[in-house]
Amino acid sequence: MQRVEPPRFILRFLKWFCKPEYHADIEGDLLEYYDRRVADLGRTQANLRLCKDVLLLFRPGIIRSATIHQPLTHNGMIKSYFIMGWRNLWKSKLYSTLNVLGLTFGMVCFLLIGLYVYDELNFDTQHSQGERIYRVITHEKNSSNEATTVAAAGYMLAEESKHAIPEVAQTTRMQRVGRANLVDPENPVNVQETITVANEHFFQVFDFPFIEGDRRTALKEPYSIVVTEDLAMRIFGTKDVMNRNLQFNHMTNPVKITGILKSHPKNSSFTFTSVLSESTRYANEGFLREAESDWASTDYTVYTLLQPDANPDSVSRKMTQLVYANASLEPGTKLSYSLQPLKDVHLKSEGITDGGRNSNVDSIPQGNPVYITVFFFTAIFVLLIAGINYTNLTTARASSRLKEIGVRKAIGAVRGNLVRQFLVESMITTVIAFLVAVLIVSFLLPAFNNFVNKNFSIFTSVGLRFWAAAIGLIIAIGLLSGGYAAMLLSRFNPVSLLKGLKLKSRNDFSIRKALVVVQFTISTVMIIGTIVLFMQVRFLNNSNLGFDKDLMVVIDVNVVKARSNFEWVKNEMSKVGTVQHVSVSSHVPGEWKTLVRAKLKKEGSPGDFQIAYAIAADKDFLNTYDIQLLSGRNFRNANDSSAILINEAAAKILGITDVSGDIVEIPQIARGSSFGPLYDDVNTSFKPRVVGIVKDFHFQSLRAKIEPLIIAYHDNPIYPIDYFSVKIQPQNIQATLDKLKSIMVANDEREPFEYHFLDDQLARFYIEDQRSQTILGWVALASVVIACLGLFGLATYAAEQRLKEIGMRKVLGANLFSIMALLSKDFVKLVLIACCFAFPIAWLGANKWLQEYAYHIDIDWWIFALAGVIATGIALLTVSYQAIKAAIVNPVKILRSE
Amino acid sequence: MKHLQLGEFEEIVLLTVGVLHGNAYGVTIKDEIEQRLNREVTIGALQITLRRLESKGFLKSNLGESTESRRGRPKLFFEITAYGKKALDYSKESRDQLWKALPKLVLKLK
Repeated sequence: MQRVEPPRFILRFLKWFCKPEYHADIEGDLLEYYDRRVADLGRTQANLRLCKDVLLLFRPGIIRSATIHQPLTHNGMIKSYFIMGWRNLWKSKLYSTLNVLGLTFGMVCFLLIGLYVYDELNFDTQHSQGERIYRVITHEKNSSNEATTVAAAGYMLAEESKHAIPEVAQTTRMQRVGRANLVDPENPVNVQETITVANEHFFQVFDFPFIEGDRRTALKEPYSIVVTEDLAMRIFGTKDVMNRNLQFNHMTNPVKITGILKSHPKNSSFTFTSVLSESTRYANEGFLREAESDWASTDYTVYTLLQPDANPDSVSRKMTQLVYANASLEPGTKLSYSLQPLKDVHLKSEGITDGGRNSNVDSIPQGNPVYITVFFFTAIFVLLIAGINYTNLTTARASSRLKEIGVRKAIGAVRGNLVRQFLVESMITTVIAFLVAVLIVSFLLPAFNNFVNKNFSIFTSVGLRFWAAAIGLIIAIGLLSGGYAAMLLSRFNPVSLLKGLKLKSRNDFSIRKALVVVQFTISTVMIIGTIVLFMQVRFLNNSNLGFDKDLMVVIDVNVVKARSNFEWVKNEMSKVGTVQHVSVSSHVPGEWKTLVRAKLKKEGSPGDFQIAYAIAADKDFLNTYDIQLLSGRNFRNANDSSAILINEAAAKILGITDVSGDIVEIPQIARGSSFGPLYDDVNTSFKPRVVGIVKDFHFQSLRAKIEPLIIAYHDNPIYPIDYFSVKIQPQNIQATLDKLKSIMVANDEREPFEYHFLDDQLARFYIEDQRSQTILGWVALASVVIACLGLFGLATYAAEQRLKEIGMRKVLGANLFSIMALLSKDFVKLVLIACCFAFPIAWLGANKWLQEYAYHIDIDWWIFALAGVIATGIALLTVSYQAIKAAIVNPVKILRSE
Repeated sequence: MKHLQLGEFEEIVLLTVGVLHGNAYGVTIKDEIEQRLNREVTIGALQITLRRLESKGFLKSNLGESTESRRGRPKLFFEITAYGKKALDYSKESRDQLWKALPKLVLKLK
């Protein structure tokens, strides 16, 4: 007779709540009753009664206590997992080494890149109120519909918005007004410093840490200055400089040090070394009155501190209203304001001009969000590749552990035990790899710091959050990569394992294949990326710029006398034997400060004004820079002060084909972001005559197209001269520099002699690209190595598995080559499939990146071919070692046993 | 002697275990009480009482064999201990005393 079984869930419920020592006999009683009731009353009634009985058993005295049961056995098992895990690692040293090595490589790359990315993402997060600090951005559209976006605003906007807008808790203004010599009056050493001016609330909005001084009052009084410790060390040689005096060479009164700041960390957008109190300037009534009518200028960098929970969008709308209510705007001009969170200043300022500064002050250094994203993903991918390795090797080796798993299951291990054992094994491997990786990172860190120009130290610079995240991710990788193997291996039926049946592992093998394809796809994309970056950077550094940049010393004009007395300086310099040419100009090709722009059109022509960049230069400029004159003539003498040269691009927009003395009208120029009239009288224009056309040359970085350019004579109303360019000969460079310096100092003893080599300066345009190329190159290398370690393991395994087959084939007459082909073919196929995926991805990515450059290399087919050959070649090399080893074994040895 | 006191149900269970002498486990005890006394007994109440009596020392238990209908679950046989006997005696004695003290008149009132 078929026995009626009670519903399982009820008994399970009983088991769940009942004290274990009572459970067995109570359940027995219940079952006895159940059978009897089924016979007497039928199944439904029996079930109901059973339910009732169990529910009535659910009472204190029978319910067990809530503590975890069997704690001792559990601990014992964990200990056993560790022992077994350790033994297994020792037993197969080759595979363990491959696993640990792969993971270590991956983690080193991940940690280094992670440090870099973390640092970039955490720019300007030192300020305790940072979440509430916003930078005011002005969006201006003038009457001819030209839009500018500047990170700056007017004096009164900062002054009034904290009174008029309740959400604004505080505001502060900052200006970088220029560069000047800042010296200790008792011991003057001329060094140029950027002059940063801020009002008294500056240190209440930002908390730059003070070593000495009171942050509330430091900038209150006129002629107060706050300096950083490293500036104090540079000028005075000591940090104990409170209340001492400093002298700016452009000011008559000395300034008093009222505070000493700690030096800025590397991840700060603020690079000032000193801050002068704004009241120094506005002690002058006239200046103050002028400032108090300034609502809509872009002369100040304004930061606002909002109340908690304030909505920045509504605040910026109110600011716009406030300005419209008070400012008298030119007709046709449209203004609006927006607030940029402080943490976005570093990475999300694309298209925003850095305002509130003189054009001879460098703008705030920006991060490149594209590279950050790319790095972030490569870091994750490398770790992923390493994780995949582990999974592949472990599942591949399943067969050698089948007996072990079978025996474990037979003597009572449940699936959970096996899963846990495999996980513990993978965690041991991961932890070892992690420790080794941290060790390697700490060794590599000094070189890495040097290379990315940061200042990381392994435990202090990034704080707990980074390490918590890194360790979390690494544990996740350990669990994930061990998890698949654990699930797969613990699933098998112990009987078939112990009988020695071959596993039907087709399904599992295809997953492994897919993973190899993923690994090689990523690696190939990285290889292509590296090649493209390398080619582009080489192209940037080597392409013909249209002028001579080598051995060019560019000396800044920093003192008045160097400008007024330049003829004498030039003359003295050209007497030096190793100097070939000397020229003076307002800007140099590859200018690192802001170039001046001019509005211009041909006199009398209808049409709108065009915009061209403007440089002022003397008659030696073309010679010194070896710029080709296409038609017309060069500057000759002082009578040429109203003559200009133009480049081809400018000739095109002006509609000038050959030089016939056309007059050009220049009413407005822009030194920063916005145009203003050139002369005090708005209606007059500078009207120079075009005397020559020069060949286009790359006066900006190769990211930008060659724009229209006019070269005015050094004596012109647009911009004065600012540099000496000295073309020198390659011998005795240091001696030449010394002579140049002595000439400059002889001209004016306050001369700081600031100079650059032009080619170094030009290379700085692409330094980020160069850096990325190197990082990406190393990461690509690591990813290929890791993928190959995995492939090596898989090939070893495949060769082991097919030893018998190979033996048979050899006996039947196969030669070495055909056996190698047999073993390599599978893997090469995978790599080729990976290439098919990688090529389009890499092509899209590279194309998108190259679009940033107006001048770039073409992506040729050979780049892909090369990457494909590298990937396949390395894979083949890896596999063939195992293939050859398998192919030369004596078949007798293999086939003898069985 | 307070610790020898028994509750009503406890006394019945203890007595039934004695009655069944050697064949007292959950099912038989429940059946016996239900048959003899014509009252419903839930397994929950019975089990709790059995365990309590055991923990007080009035009963002792030992695992017995299983049957097919118990699907391998053992029977748990109960037995009265000497201490349990003493408790029964005490219980009986105290009632007898009261009975004796009861005036005859009261009994006649029905």
